[in-house]
Amino acid sequence: MRSARLSTNSYGYLFIAPFILGFLIFGLYPVYNTLALSLTDTTLMSREVNYIGLKNFERLFADDFFLKAVGNSWLIWTLNFIPQIGIALLLSAWFTNLRLKIRAVGVWRALFFLPNLLMPAAVAALFFSLFSYYGPVNQLMVQTGVLSEAMHYLQDVTTTRGLVIFIQWWMWFGQTAIILMAGMTAIPIHLYEAAMVDGASSAQMFTRITLPLLKPILIFVFVTSLVGGMQMFDIPFLLTDGRGSPASSIMTNNILMYLKFSSSKGHLAFASSVGVLVFIMTTVCALGIFYVLRERDGGSNGKSRSERVATLERKGAQA
Amino acid sequence: MINRYQLGTYAMRALVYAVLITLLVITIIPIWMLIVNATRSTTEIQQGLSALPSTHLLENYHILQSKGLNMGRGFANSLFVAVASTLIAVYFALLTAYGLVVYEFKGKKLLSGFIVLLVLIPMQFSIVGFYHYMSRLGLTDNYAALILPLVASAAAVFFGRQYLESVVVRELIDAARIDGSSELGIFHKVMMPLAIPGAATLGIFVFVAAWNNFFNAFILISSLDKYTLPMLVQTLRGDVYRTEYGAIYLGLAITVVPIIIIYAVFSRFIISGIAMGALKE
Repeated sequence: MRSARLSTNSYGYLFIAPFILGFLIFGLYPVYNTLALSLTDTTLMSREVNYIGLKNFERLFADDFFLKAVGNSWLIWTLNFIPQIGIALLLSAWFTNLRLKIRAVGVWRALFFLPNLLMPAAVAALFFSLFSYYGPVNQLMVQTGVLSEAMHYLQDVTTTRGLVIFIQWWMWFGQTAIILMAGMTAIPIHLYEAAMVDGASSAQMFTRITLPLLKPILIFVFVTSLVGGMQMFDIPFLLTDGRGSPASSIMTNNILMYLKFSSSKGHLAFASSVGVLVFIMTTVCALGIFYVLRERDGGSNGKSRSERVATLERKGAQA
Repeated sequence: MINRYQLGTYAMRALVYAVLITLLVITIIPIWMLIVNATRSTTEIQQGLSALPSTHLLENYHILQSKGLNMGRGFANSLFVAVASTLIAVYFALLTAYGLVVYEFKGKKLLSGFIVLLVLIPMQFSIVGFYHYMSRLGLTDNYAALILPLVASAAAVFFGRQYLESVVVRELIDAARIDGSSELGIFHKVMMPLAIPGAATLGIFVFVAAWNNFFNAFILISSLDKYTLPMLVQTLRGDVYRTEYGAIYLGLAITVVPIIIIYAVFSRFIISGIAMGALKE
């Protein structure tokens, strides 16, 4: 018999050990390695590696392509996010509205979500085919007389960018609507009932009850979408030639990183520095969003949903 | 009698359904075109649009095969990577989550907070460092580089922890301890059966993500016989298939239809899973 049995709780370490180990090997070390590479001149071919400090970063800031990639990523993300959150708010408000009583809500949102599950690579190739010169969209446009002659959608900066924005919107509005709807259905129904008794309109209920209580979820959607948007790759990469054509108009951060990585020299160090800068930019912006949108009333930063519900109820009682 | 207030609601409802139907058409048309065109010959596709499938499915498949692109192989590769990723991610996520939910130990809170942070951090930025490191280990062009990192999937652990918190029954664990089961034995024999619905939901998400993953595979895998479907899709865009529209649509449909079938069967799980992942405040 063992004299001292291991305390049961220390088995917790046993259970989390594989995760910690896996994280160190496959998560943390690659991060360290990326940072380390970004300070060197390593290429796929190079035998010896020299430490060159921040030279890669200096070169990046002097590189028009880098600034262009960052600008494109922001532009494409912003222009897809605004209609995405707009439509999602509208859909979730309608689906949870007590007066409207929309039928088959589950079926609608299941269908709107479908594009999100499709392989982005295949979606990009699909839209490439649909919008190619001899493709179905041109056939339809010419037959119905909308266009007098077929056009090269993917050789035009505006239509190509517009298409990437549309595809991103198409793939994500349903998912955002589901998340917002989950947040809305978690709001206690008696708040709305009380407001209805007081004669509040749908719009008033939406701006006074729904939006304030939904704030944490809106921030979550905002941040995750931004983080995803800054990593955008598959759609713009496969929609045109893999270099962000026409005129680098859909070259995003990760496409640039890939181009540096796959260039004839395989410039690993330079590609790493793109990754590091994009990471810093994304993290700073994400933290900025948390900071700007934090709760300011009463100085309590992380007010929970229940506290907020209580505040609203007090306000209601006073009115 | 219908009063003004009710009339307003009726008008609003009509407007809402009009918008919903418009959105539905926009959502479905591209997918429907993909599936219909996969069954039409290139000539038919060039002649005009059609809302109904045709009869050239097999013919398109033969064209697809004849150009040297082995879709069957790609399908098998993708299936292998996706299934292995799913098993690894789900098992280790539940293991970690169980450790975090059931035991009290130092650093537990820190680790839980850290995992939330990891979910938000874009790890793709370190792909070059990951590639460089894998090439030194001789693991590039090897599925292990795609699958093994899922031992430490923060998003999966996060989901697993949310789920286990709602299903763990401490009395059952204590009873099993009294019966002399080992801690790991309790996890396998008591916890796993209880966690099956959550494991299934998590599994679907991991499967879809692994099936659709292009970027990592594109960076890490280089030999043609190891290509997964998204990499073959990228090849479909090339010159070889320039004018074989039917075959291209079919190639794309092969990658997309399995996911649509999975979704048709499990949509309830998937949608509740998304809602659950977000309500995490």
